[in-house]
Amino acid sequence: MNAFGLAPLLLIFPAIGVLFNALVGRRFVQPDYYRLRREAAPDAAIAAHNDPAGEKWSGWFASLMALGSFAVAVLLALSLAGNDFDAETITLFDWFNVPAANFRVPWAMQIDTLSVTMMLVVTGVGSLIHIYAIGYMHGDPDFSRFFTYLNLFLFFMLILVSANNYLMLFVGWEGVGLCSFLLIGFWFDSVSNSNAARKAFVVNRIGDFAVILAMILLFIVFGTLGFDAIFNSAAERFASGEGIAIFGREVSVGVLLSVVTVLFLIGAAGKSAQIPLYVWLPDAMAGPTPVSALIHAATMVTSGIYLIVRSNVLYEIVREAATQGDVWLHSPNVVAYIGAATALLAGIIAFTQFDIKKVLAYSTISQLGFMVAAAGLGAYVAAMFHLITHAFFKALLFLSAGSVIHGVEHGHHHLAHDAAAPDEHGFDAQDMRNMGGLRHQMRTTFWVYLIGALALAGIFPLAGFWSKDEILAYANEYNIGVYILLTLAAVGTAFYMGRQIKLVFFGEPRHPAAEHAHESPPLMTVPLVILAALAVVGGLLNLPFLTAGAAEAAHNHPEGIFLALEGWLEHSLASFGLTEEGLVNLPLLDPASLNYLVAGLSLGLALLAFGLAFYVVYGRRPATAEEPDPFRSIPVLGPVIWWFAILPLNTLYMKFVVPFFNRMAHWLAYTVDWAFWHDFVHDNIIRDLFVGFARFSSSVLDRRGLDGGLVHGAARLARGLASALRVTQTGYVRNYALGLFVGVVALLAYFLLSAG
Amino acid sequence: MPEVTVNWYIALAALLFIIGTMGVLVRRNALIIYMSIELMLNAANLAFVALARHLGDLDGQIFVFFVMTVAAAEVAVGLALIVTIFRTKASINIDTINTMKG
Repeated sequence: MNAFGLAPLLLIFPAIGVLFNALVGRRFVQPDYYRLRREAAPDAAIAAHNDPAGEKWSGWFASLMALGSFAVAVLLALSLAGNDFDAETITLFDWFNVPAANFRVPWAMQIDTLSVTMMLVVTGVGSLIHIYAIGYMHGDPDFSRFFTYLNLFLFFMLILVSANNYLMLFVGWEGVGLCSFLLIGFWFDSVSNSNAARKAFVVNRIGDFAVILAMILLFIVFGTLGFDAIFNSAAERFASGEGIAIFGREVSVGVLLSVVTVLFLIGAAGKSAQIPLYVWLPDAMAGPTPVSALIHAATMVTSGIYLIVRSNVLYEIVREAATQGDVWLHSPNVVAYIGAATALLAGIIAFTQFDIKKVLAYSTISQLGFMVAAAGLGAYVAAMFHLITHAFFKALLFLSAGSVIHGVEHGHHHLAHDAAAPDEHGFDAQDMRNMGGLRHQMRTTFWVYLIGALALAGIFPLAGFWSKDEILAYANEYNIGVYILLTLAAVGTAFYMGRQIKLVFFGEPRHPAAEHAHESPPLMTVPLVILAALAVVGGLLNLPFLTAGAAEAAHNHPEGIFLALEGWLEHSLASFGLTEEGLVNLPLLDPASLNYLVAGLSLGLALLAFGLAFYVVYGRRPATAEEPDPFRSIPVLGPVIWWFAILPLNTLYMKFVVPFFNRMAHWLAYTVDWAFWHDFVHDNIIRDLFVGFARFSSSVLDRRGLDGGLVHGAARLARGLASALRVTQTGYVRNYALGLFVGVVALLAYFLLSAG
Repeated sequence: MPEVTVNWYIALAALLFIIGTMGVLVRRNALIIYMSIELMLNAANLAFVALARHLGDLDGQIFVFFVMTVAAAEVAVGLALIVTIFRTKASINIDTINTMKG
């Protein structure tokens, strides 16, 4: 008994949600909204916080659809367990079929342990965030549009993870990019929001372009885009040493695969915000906070890691080839170093941010760097493990931050209606300098935030400790350079989280709005508590002392290790190696057992950094919002770190790439498009040709040819003939008689002569 | 005294026919034209009779009766027409009836 047949429901539920909210959702939300707004005080700020009764429908419907998908994902997971973890493919229909090129792409869903893991994370965390958003978006006039986008995002994300070929994956890949764009620019009436949305879209396109190129190369090499077909034949094709003609040059399969894997890395750098394309993610914080949590922390940004993990066979082949010297480009190492460098750089930039969400954004980039580095090292399970725990605690942190912002904004509204308070515009409810002391006003939020921060910082025994330590243990074993970078990044993580906790929740309120902040409604806090629980126990998924045994047991008793991610995922990850006997299917890298030295060192450093931030650097300061950041006044280190906030690629892009791009766009728009295309090509060539032809048709063809020749010509001919013939009609009988006579004579003459 | 052969008859018939034709073409008096037509018909009759006798075939003789019958009928109709024209035009000059002139 299995539930694989239910797989299409996974996509159908969110699709129904999209249709519901897009077509009829507004009817539930808006009439109430405007009626209440009219009835309430003319002040829009008050009206906006009245209760549009219908919006619950919109929000709960969307959330139910998300929960429905989650239920399907759970059933699929159980079915896999009952199926010896063997992958199952559900083919829905043929999407592309070009017999001439032998190119066939079915729309098929790959149900294996890897994709189901992603489905569970996406729908599970997604459902909680949907519910949270009902509270967070309360009173927004575009409530139903928000949930339309949210469900649409789920739909595309599930296509992405359930794809069984690269083309279908790319559909999801583009779709989530679109939803990201729509949701970052959700409040598009502010220019900075819509700019942030466009930035995210454009930067992502760069990565997408690389993915397209990679798919083309894969098609050239393998003649197919199906995962199974490619992965099953890749090792053989590589081992055969054959060459593929690219632009007339023979290129070996190994080299092509190394190019493909680097292109995938660029794609992942776009989606998962790695160097050099991470610049869009901090700006993406312009979106509503649930979006930041769902898309820009827990799910969409992990799709780059999913792509790499899914393509693990290709990376492993390149690793083998590079180790043997067949390929000069060691792409897995490139992946590992890019990830590690991103982890460190973003971790440092996070020190300098004041926006509560931007700190988390840079932290997300940093953690994604951990996952990418792990994937590059070949520790795919560790990458997925960190992906899952990160989804828990980062969604938790973002949603708690949303709760904080919500609370501070309410405090600010409260002030705004207090006549005595100074009326200030430009108050930033996300600026940590305006917060402080919130632990008293927002108890639940404080506790869950603390759990999330400690989990992120990697404090024992929270989820982040286990997953981060697993990555560090691998790095320590296989690549010491990456290990050092990642350890430094982990220290930075603990430091900036300590700083954030201190600035937001401790000390005295630095702004009256923080004083009047209050706790968010249960609709928001309940999902927070659930996520906090997950952030605490998430580590159980893959405890190191379980995994060592599990990996062994996986070969013998698959059903016995359902809980351990290592054994669970092993069924989807294959690793090939070249040995002296040829190509063999190797087990994954030895699961790193708990390395007490590594774990102890990182835990100690994390505690130290956390404490340093909490008690020393930010111990009693800043006391007011205007006071400069105490970290900055530390000699040497402060300015250097602060310099990082200015240096990063964003500035470089703005200085060198964007002006060039703008000039090119300007040139394309005004010179090529307007001057050349419109003025010259349209007006001179196309229009003049057309007008000339029309004139020719009108005056020559029509007036002279049809009118003058055929119509008038026929008339003239008839008239001419008639006037010539009328002369014979004299009216005199003798003339007719003469005619008759002549005729008879002529006939007689004819008959006589011809008879003779 | 030369023998009167069939050629003489044919020559006479041709002569009569030409006279009749010229009469039809040249004269303007309707009655004269009628007479000329009769002359042409009878020229033909003469040729019929002569050749019938010469060939010993009665068909020609019989045909002449038909021609005379038709001629009589034609004269009857024609004279009636001429009377009618005279009543309207007070003339039988056929050049006065030229309303068919195009």
